[in-house]
Amino acid sequence: MSRASRSGSSSRPRNPSRAWLEAQATAIRPWHRRALGCGLLAALATLVQLGGLAWIVAQAMIAGQGIAELWPALLVVGLALTLRAVAQWGQEVSGQACGLAVKRAVRAQLLAKLHALGPVRLASRHSAGLASQLVDQVESLEGYYARFRPQVMLALAVPLLYLAVVLWLNWLAAVWLLIAAPLIPLFMALIGMGAQRLNEAQFRAVTRLSGHFLDRVRGITTLQLFGLGERATAEVSDVAHDYRRRSMRTLRVAFLSSAVLEFFAAVSVAVVAIYIGLGLLGYIDYGPAGELDLFSGLFILLLAPEFFQPLRTLSQHYHDRASALGAAEGLMALLDEPVPESDSAAAPTPSAPVTAAVELEAVELSHVGRQRVLGPLSLRVETGEVVALVGPSGSGKSSLLQLIAGFVAADRGRVAVAPGAAIAWLDQRPLIIQGTLAENLRLVAPTASDTALHEALEEAGLGDWLRAAAYGLETPLGERGVGLSGGEGQRLALARIFLSPARLVLLDEPTAALDPETERVVVAALQRLAASGRTLLVATHHPALMAMADRVLALDDGRLITAPGTPWQEASNS
Amino acid sequence: MSPLATGVTHLYRSLRPWLGVLGARRGRLWLGAALMLATLVSALGLLSLSGWFITATAVAALSLPVFFDVFAPGSGVRAFAVARTASRYLERLYNHDTVLRLLADLRGGVFARLVRLDARTLSRARAAQWLNRLTADIDTLDNLYLRLLAPPLVALAAILGFALFAMLFLPVAGWLLLVLLVPLWLVLTVGCAAWGWRASHRRVDRQEALRVRAVEQVEGLAELTAYGALETHLGHWRSEEQGLLDDQRLLGKRTAAANALTTLVIQLAAVGVLALGLAALSSAALSGAQMVMLTLGTLAVAEGLGGLPMAFTQLGATQRAAERLNAQTALTPERAGMTLQGGGAAPSLVYRDVGLCQGGRWVLRGVDLVLAPGQQIAVIGASGSGKSTLAQLAVRAFDPDIGDLRFDDHEIAELAPESLRARIGYLTQRSELFHDTLAANLRMGDPAASDAQLWAVLEQVDLREWAEALPQGLATWVGEQGRQLSGGQARRVALARVMLRNSPLVILDEPLSGLDAQTAQVVKKALSHWLAGRTALLLAHEPAALPACDSCWRLVPGAQGAALQPMS
Repeated sequence: MSRASRSGSSSRPRNPSRAWLEAQATAIRPWHRRALGCGLLAALATLVQLGGLAWIVAQAMIAGQGIAELWPALLVVGLALTLRAVAQWGQEVSGQACGLAVKRAVRAQLLAKLHALGPVRLASRHSAGLASQLVDQVESLEGYYARFRPQVMLALAVPLLYLAVVLWLNWLAAVWLLIAAPLIPLFMALIGMGAQRLNEAQFRAVTRLSGHFLDRVRGITTLQLFGLGERATAEVSDVAHDYRRRSMRTLRVAFLSSAVLEFFAAVSVAVVAIYIGLGLLGYIDYGPAGELDLFSGLFILLLAPEFFQPLRTLSQHYHDRASALGAAEGLMALLDEPVPESDSAAAPTPSAPVTAAVELEAVELSHVGRQRVLGPLSLRVETGEVVALVGPSGSGKSSLLQLIAGFVAADRGRVAVAPGAAIAWLDQRPLIIQGTLAENLRLVAPTASDTALHEALEEAGLGDWLRAAAYGLETPLGERGVGLSGGEGQRLALARIFLSPARLVLLDEPTAALDPETERVVVAALQRLAASGRTLLVATHHPALMAMADRVLALDDGRLITAPGTPWQEASNS
Repeated sequence: MSPLATGVTHLYRSLRPWLGVLGARRGRLWLGAALMLATLVSALGLLSLSGWFITATAVAALSLPVFFDVFAPGSGVRAFAVARTASRYLERLYNHDTVLRLLADLRGGVFARLVRLDARTLSRARAAQWLNRLTADIDTLDNLYLRLLAPPLVALAAILGFALFAMLFLPVAGWLLLVLLVPLWLVLTVGCAAWGWRASHRRVDRQEALRVRAVEQVEGLAELTAYGALETHLGHWRSEEQGLLDDQRLLGKRTAAANALTTLVIQLAAVGVLALGLAALSSAALSGAQMVMLTLGTLAVAEGLGGLPMAFTQLGATQRAAERLNAQTALTPERAGMTLQGGGAAPSLVYRDVGLCQGGRWVLRGVDLVLAPGQQIAVIGASGSGKSTLAQLAVRAFDPDIGDLRFDDHEIAELAPESLRARIGYLTQRSELFHDTLAANLRMGDPAASDAQLWAVLEQVDLREWAEALPQGLATWVGEQGRQLSGGQARRVALARVMLRNSPLVILDEPLSGLDAQTAQVVKKALSHWLAGRTALLLAHEPAALPACDSCWRLVPGAQGAALQPMS
């Protein structure tokens, strides 16, 4: 949807980030209108309030009326300012609703994009960086929709309203206000253009800064061992100070824009004040100056700062716009990342009826910026068969499994997988989510009973562990829960396979990082899996796994070596 | 009152270390606050003086030919106008510079503390989320001075100052301002803090939980996609997101309410001052010009209060961030010691009756092991049996609970860790590569290594051919944690890095893990050659996973901790 609307607004290609931000706003129109309505209401209430104040003062000073005569007017002023406060509240709350709605929608788009890109293309990206895009960069969109966007309209409408009133009271005073006013957007535009470029540069600096920091903290043990602790500390400090210098460059410009605005506002108010003062004294003969009285003079004076206030507020929210534009650039880069057309075809649904569990025909695969990683290669795996893939590291074992799982599309050839439920997947980094043991298992079978969970854990060799756990299936796992050792994590992932209805099981070096004890458990479990009639494809160096396979296929440089993999087996046993 | 009191104690305790960091730049902070006050005073002056001026002129015009000096107040108005702009610009620039300096201080300081943490503490906090949280928490603390410390003080000073000023003309108006605005100030600071505490405190954790879910989505995408479990996991994501949005909505509503209250009370105060002024006017206790001056001045006080609701409803978040940083960077005692002197001949390494207790459980007990200079010794054991602990003791990642280790004739517990580690090349079980180029990762072993040396060491680990085929060669980026490389390639890069270090004592923990049999043979051969003449402790789960050694020991688990037994 966003893609369509983006290309639709490409008539203004000057700033794609701004077009993208506008496109996100279509769904929040009602809230946006409400924010505008409340803003205008507040402006009208302000008008009544200030007019009332000026009138009361004038009546008291000129007509000599006291509080006894003036209390109804005071009451009106009180009511108007209450309305003003309430409308102001309404504007803020409606604006925030816009911001929250956009954040949710953009996050949904981003997640959908991540899913479309798939695990292989994401492998080269900083997962922490992506997470911060999804959470923190999206956060920085809020201010734009909540505050800046409604204020853009109000900064135009409200000063015009006040100007009309001043014009009616005394046209020369309106001229004084107008002299400063047109200069403001001009200056803002000039300065804003520079500020935006700087802001984008700064956004990149922030990303680099946190990436650098995270990376160094992650490898702190290694830094200690290599005696690089002090050098790294100095580096972190340098990078932070570099960030400060960059930020100050941005801020100097940003603050200058609001200072220019404030200066004109202040000068304008001062000029109006002096004009009114001199006019009241009768020192000015020109134009309507002689018509000034205390009521109109005071009213104009009170309106003068209010005339500039919406613009000043806008400039205060200018950084909301700038940071939203900066974030938009990063988010668009992610959203615009091309997903090859053929990937949809890579989904494990066959184009022609498949009799085998997996069928590959003259498949070729290459990664961006690298040589061909796989193929040409043909392979047929029967249902219930156990196939071991062996070969030196980098020979394409993982790529072959990824191709079958549908994470990447073949550049040439045909991949077909028997229709049916999901595919079970296990690699060396099992996913453990924040949550209970049960939640971790039910990821793959949301409706599984507790008994089924117990059985699966038993099959995976976690029965004893479960019995020892005080909270059983409700034991919290992940960061805030019980830490699982590498071997236990792997067995948890195995339990998922047992629990899942998937008939095709893909295993990428499932025993590579395990100690012999866990290895034995995992191998035994995999044998039970094979016996249960599932189809297993396993990339491995492990002799026991090769031994249980019906077929051992050797891969070298992305091609199948037709001879069965006995040499590998011997090598591993030596 | 008591929950408030405990809250304040709590707050103070969490923030104290960070207030200390601010204290180091005390001069800058006071100057920044003074600039803020100058800005506010100019605003007050501009509006009050203009109001006085206009009313006074009107009165003068009415009371016929009197001389009225328009120039003094006129130039006063202009001066206030310019002063306001100038001081505001300077204030913002100066204070933001201060805040960024503080932020750089904080980052450097936190990292310096982390670098000193010992291995046990670090192993408790390895996950990427933890690190992300660290940066986010530091960022949250930038609120402390610019939003939470200086503005409320400046606002209070302005309220008290203006009320006293008003008392000079009309005491009852001054009292009215005190009675209305001091409670308002309390509501905007203490009140808002209490009102937003729960939700903002929780918001930090919820944002973190959402980050964790995002990392899960990315890192677990293979499993989730294959199983068709994305939708289930998205359910978890959505409930975290909903919680976060709810908190934000709540905080936004409360901030908006506090903002509306500010408008209401300030304007009511202005109307109140006007009403009192009207009463005083009839008894001639006050001139009309003074009445308008006080009324308009009251309106200008609002400028000092504007930022408070937003800042204080988020106070809970600041406190939570500070609390977590305190917990995570708690100092472990620095382990100082003497510096090793002399050349780089192969040393001896001796474990004497070493025992180590972790979390109430003996991990090692009665370990005796002698590595003579130039000798290569293998220790075999299942993962989790304590092999890596043996290695960590040798680099003084922590000290043993009983027994001692000797490096040549020095007791390791008396050596400075940096000095000791400078003599040791240690390949850890996990290959920790940095998000940098291949060359930069290798040069961690020897910052002065030439390209030729890098190519030579790559040759030894059988990566030369592969690296030469890379379009960018040594300048290839290895990706986060070396993810652009396969497991076996990353392992060999880590090994090459240790080899470049060229140290007399070498510890290799599972050097060949993740390598296929053929590559393993090649690397094994190169290692045997390279290890000659060095003292080496080699760790693996089976002897076949190591190059040839002078003797071989097995680490056997026991109820009282693992112990060593000779292998045939």
